[in-house]
Amino acid sequence: MQVKLEGVKKIYGSRTVLDLEELIVEEGCLFGIIGPNGAGKSTLLNIMAGIDAQTEGKVYYGTDRTEITPYRDITLVFQSPYLLRTTVEKNIAYPLKLRGWQENMLRERVEELMEDLDLTRLRKQKAWTLSSGEMQKVALARALSFRPKLLLLDEPTANIDPATTGEIERMLKKINEQEGTTVVIITHNLSQAKRICGNTAMLHKGRLVETGPAALMLKDPENPLTKAFIDGELLS
Amino acid sequence: MQEIARGITEAIKMLLSFDPEIYEIVGLSLRVSLTSVIISTCLGIPIGVIIGLYNFPGKRILIRLIYTLMSLPPVIAGLVVFLFIMRKGPLGFLGLSFTPTAMIIAQVCLVTPIIIGLTYNIVKEKADRVRRLALTLGAGRREAVKLLIFELRVGLLAAIVTGFGRAISEVGAVMLVGGNIVGKTRVMTTYIAQLQRMGNYDRAIAVGIVLLLIAFTINAILYNIQEKNG
Ligand SMILES: Nc1ncnc2c1ncn2[C@@H]1O[C@H](COP(=O)(O)OP(=O)(O)OP(=O)(O)O)[C@@H](O)[C@H]1O
Ligand SMILES: [Mg+2]
Repeated sequence: MQVKLEGVKKIYGSRTVLDLEELIVEEGCLFGIIGPNGAGKSTLLNIMAGIDAQTEGKVYYGTDRTEITPYRDITLVFQSPYLLRTTVEKNIAYPLKLRGWQENMLRERVEELMEDLDLTRLRKQKAWTLSSGEMQKVALARALSFRPKLLLLDEPTANIDPATTGEIERMLKKINEQEGTTVVIITHNLSQAKRICGNTAMLHKGRLVETGPAALMLKDPENPLTKAFIDGELLS
Repeated sequence: MQEIARGITEAIKMLLSFDPEIYEIVGLSLRVSLTSVIISTCLGIPIGVIIGLYNFPGKRILIRLIYTLMSLPPVIAGLVVFLFIMRKGPLGFLGLSFTPTAMIIAQVCLVTPIIIGLTYNIVKEKADRVRRLALTLGAGRREAVKLLIFELRVGLLAAIVTGFGRAISEVGAVMLVGGNIVGKTRVMTTYIAQLQRMGNYDRAIAVGIVLLLIAFTINAILYNIQEKNG
């Protein structure tokens, strides 16, 4: 699902934390967002998800440019995930219950996701006893469960070990390529961005610094700010 | 000291002999307090959820008021209810003075603010995160409220149990509106007060033990639920 932002601003008090002239996430792409802490990445994603309202500007979904957030087709995995006070498998099944899936199809889907993310042995465990990486995986499985058309991920592999990170990256590529799911991912892991992202946006102080294909932009950035960021310098 | 030891032995004998008078009093206590708590829950939880979720003018003052009412002295609740339902009062025509119904009304006045206040606190703390999650998973308004209640179930149950503890143990309100009438409005707490005045300490201790046992059971249940649910 395409998302287009026009003149979107988010202002807290007197502070503008997001100020974008235009940003388009094309249908079917795997879009990366990078930038230093506090750049406004999470703010941007929350606005795309319709969870926070922008102070100014418009967000359009799909090619018919509706301004109504299609909640049933979008999902967001938060930077610090919130799990329901129940077991792992019930967490994953919740969006499917909500959508009235039949019991046997629901079972099958939950099994499949637990298998893919190595959660099967934790199925009966209470969500609040999981490690933070496990929590992140459960939140991801829950978000994937109902096959959203737009998947928004806020640093989904921040707490996850290298092998599982690889597994998640393969999953994201797979659903992006095979199911055509549009994915937007915030990441501080630049080699991850290079591995999986198509178009990528660099944000700094709420503004869009540069966009372009990840492989190119991260190797040979046009903007000196992006270059400095990639080189690990503190941006002022 | 001797009184207490003898009282305890007597009390155990009395309880094991299934003294009908005591069991009747315990039964009425439970009936009155459970009914009050059920009514208070039906009123208090929706009100607490609404106050927690929505902003409206006068909200801050309302919350202050509820917090104050949470520690309302039972005698005051009893007095106010009494003034309303006494024969010459505005609701006197209902003939509720010195009936279990009057006791229930008084306890509802005590317990409802407690349940509202505790519900409001837990809703305020968690509502925003649950609302945001509900949106990301495609839940509608109703489903989001259902999810919120599900998420808060442990805290809500604790609020209800706290309310019951308050109801079963208070003496001031039920004394004023019920009058401690034998076979009609006599409950455990008013009976203990009466027995003490008459110097019948054995019996007072016996009833006290039952009251303690009930309190202990309630707390055990509560503790169990909280342990199981983290
Ligand atoms: N409710 C709020 N009130 C005031 N300022 C806020 C609020 N929420 C976010 N901000 C500010 O907005 C800016 C952008 O925050 P955001 O969470 O979008 O950053 P980010 O790019 O996701 O950073 P990180 O990489 O650390 O996750 C930050 O400086 C933050 O302090
Ligand atoms: Mg962030």
